[in-house]
Amino acid sequence: MKLIQELYAYREMIFSLVRKDLRGRYKGSVLGFLWTFINPLFQLIIYTIAFSFILPSPIEKYYLHLFVALIPWIFFSSSVQGGANSIMAAKNLVSKIYFPREVIPISYVTGCFVNMLLTFIIIFPVVIFSGVGLNLKAVACLPIVMLAEYIMALGLALLFSAVTVFFRDMEHILNIITMAWIYLTPVLYPIDMIADENIQKLFYLNPMTSVIVAYRDVLYYARTPDFSTLVTAFLFGIASLLFGELIFSKLKKSFAEVL
Amino acid sequence: MNPENSIEVRNVKKKFKIFYDRGNDLKDRILFRNRNHYENRWVLNGISFSVRKGEAIGLIGHNGCGKSTTLKLLTKILYPDEGTIEMDGRVSSLIELGAGFHPDMTGRENIYTNASIFGLTKKEIDARIQEIIDFSELEEFIDNPIRTYSSGMYMRLAFSVAINVDANILLIDEILAVGDANFQRKCFDKLREIKSHGTTIVIVSHALEQIEQICETSYWIEDGLIKDHGTPKAVHDHYLKNMEEKRSQQLEKQHHQENQKPQKETLPDFCEASAIRMGTGAVRFTNALLCNAENQKQFIFNTEDKLKIILEYESHQPGLKGNFGYGIFREDGLHCYGTNILIETGECIPIQEHGRLEITVQNALLPAKYFLDIAVHSHDGIIFDDIRQVLSFAVTSDHYDIGVCRLHSEFSWR
Repeated sequence: MKLIQELYAYREMIFSLVRKDLRGRYKGSVLGFLWTFINPLFQLIIYTIAFSFILPSPIEKYYLHLFVALIPWIFFSSSVQGGANSIMAAKNLVSKIYFPREVIPISYVTGCFVNMLLTFIIIFPVVIFSGVGLNLKAVACLPIVMLAEYIMALGLALLFSAVTVFFRDMEHILNIITMAWIYLTPVLYPIDMIADENIQKLFYLNPMTSVIVAYRDVLYYARTPDFSTLVTAFLFGIASLLFGELIFSKLKKSFAEVL
Repeated sequence: MNPENSIEVRNVKKKFKIFYDRGNDLKDRILFRNRNHYENRWVLNGISFSVRKGEAIGLIGHNGCGKSTTLKLLTKILYPDEGTIEMDGRVSSLIELGAGFHPDMTGRENIYTNASIFGLTKKEIDARIQEIIDFSELEEFIDNPIRTYSSGMYMRLAFSVAINVDANILLIDEILAVGDANFQRKCFDKLREIKSHGTTIVIVSHALEQIEQICETSYWIEDGLIKDHGTPKAVHDHYLKNMEEKRSQQLEKQHHQENQKPQKETLPDFCEASAIRMGTGAVRFTNALLCNAENQKQFIFNTEDKLKIILEYESHQPGLKGNFGYGIFREDGLHCYGTNILIETGECIPIQEHGRLEITVQNALLPAKYFLDIAVHSHDGIIFDDIRQVLSFAVTSDHYDIGVCRLHSEFSWR
């Protein structure tokens, strides 16, 4: 509770770090902030060409099928990987100035999150033009899915950012984990592709499965996600956040000594 | 906690782990598990003090005594291993200036970033921004990216933000050396103003006179303990005296060691190892001594002392006349003084086959290490013998005046 109060007091720091992150990313390039949109747009164009002509997929509109899952996945993986390194990267601040240490991973994950939201400016028109169309009731579920994914990513970012300070290999181990993780999550393929129901259940133990399934329900199938999918995603999110913060709060007091 | 206090530190101890061979990665952890040796180094061995609301205190001590660690504990960057620290009010620390500055952003944008790191909200920053810009004296440069700033401008901006964060407790580490003299004065005035508004201030500094000007109490920390505390002037006198003693001891030791070093063949015994000799050799110094007024050999003098330079020489050319002189250089190369017999008496003296010369000098030099040069020239400037840095000596003092030499000053007032 005290932590929340303090984080609220430092909200401006979170905003300004996020702002700095987003603006600093394309600073100096001619197109600047436009890159935030150009990047996913070209990603989409390339997938469309690749999966229509070079590697045709039996799945209808595979480019969209992939895209609506890949964008949330990239948010998640970059939050966890980059977030793990965030405390180390902010060494100078952490070892010299007091502020609630959580601010650093929160800002990092929020920066990635805002980036994803901006990408949705591309996603929505594409969903409409592709003929899938927007099911407003389903779209109303989107914020819930996003929130669940956000707290899940934040929890893991908290956990790994603290661990990385004491154990520098974590960063590289995480690279390998996320590399494998994308195949354990139905990002590149539909969840129905796993025929055996028991194995499918096993896949649902992966917290990201429910999240990706929910995104795809809304944006590809234009249907409301199952209530149970949403609940699972949310519970995983809360568990991740609580566990992450538990470890983080244990380790944060020694950050300045090790850095 | 006593409601009159804003800081209470009770028996705080802090140790650091010093790793002989830190293994931060997996391979090191597993393969060399038993190599993960470390040593606990206690930086603070139990210090206690309390600061009343609105009081300003100074922490002094030589490098590595634990004063900066104390400050870091107060800011909650570090946490004590034992003991407790209680603080009442919003804390702002001027330890790291310009935290989070982004070179591509403008001065104004960076004010927002930097101030937010101190925990200010946007509204609070909006309310202060004009004051901060005015204080920094950056004027129209404020909307330029700060990579275009000079280092002075950069520091002024950083300091302006830090000092305008209204805190109840302000922690300052050695940062009053910002910008030019004018700006320093301004910072100092601002600090006093802040203090007059009831802010509690803790300063760590080597600039003792700054502490004397602003603090009511000074704490001298040594080896992780409070060695002395009280009014700054009294504590500082005690501290300086102690430092001076240590320095003298070290100088004496150093001198001893230097004299033990094997000397260059070409240099006679009485010279320092670093001496440089030149000249025709028509007259040769055979000995040089530094003595006190009682003719005892000495290398450390007080500013007020009389010192004697005793020179012995030989010559095999009869009928020469010589101009003897000496010069004193400070360790950093400053030429402090020089004179010769021609300047002092208007004439040269006849050279003997074996001669001896005494020069009595009233010292006025301030504490430092010095070198003595000696020379004998002919009347028209032919160098017979000239030894640079023939001897070195040190000066200590009971006073704290500064500069090159002591000018006797009398203050009168009405």
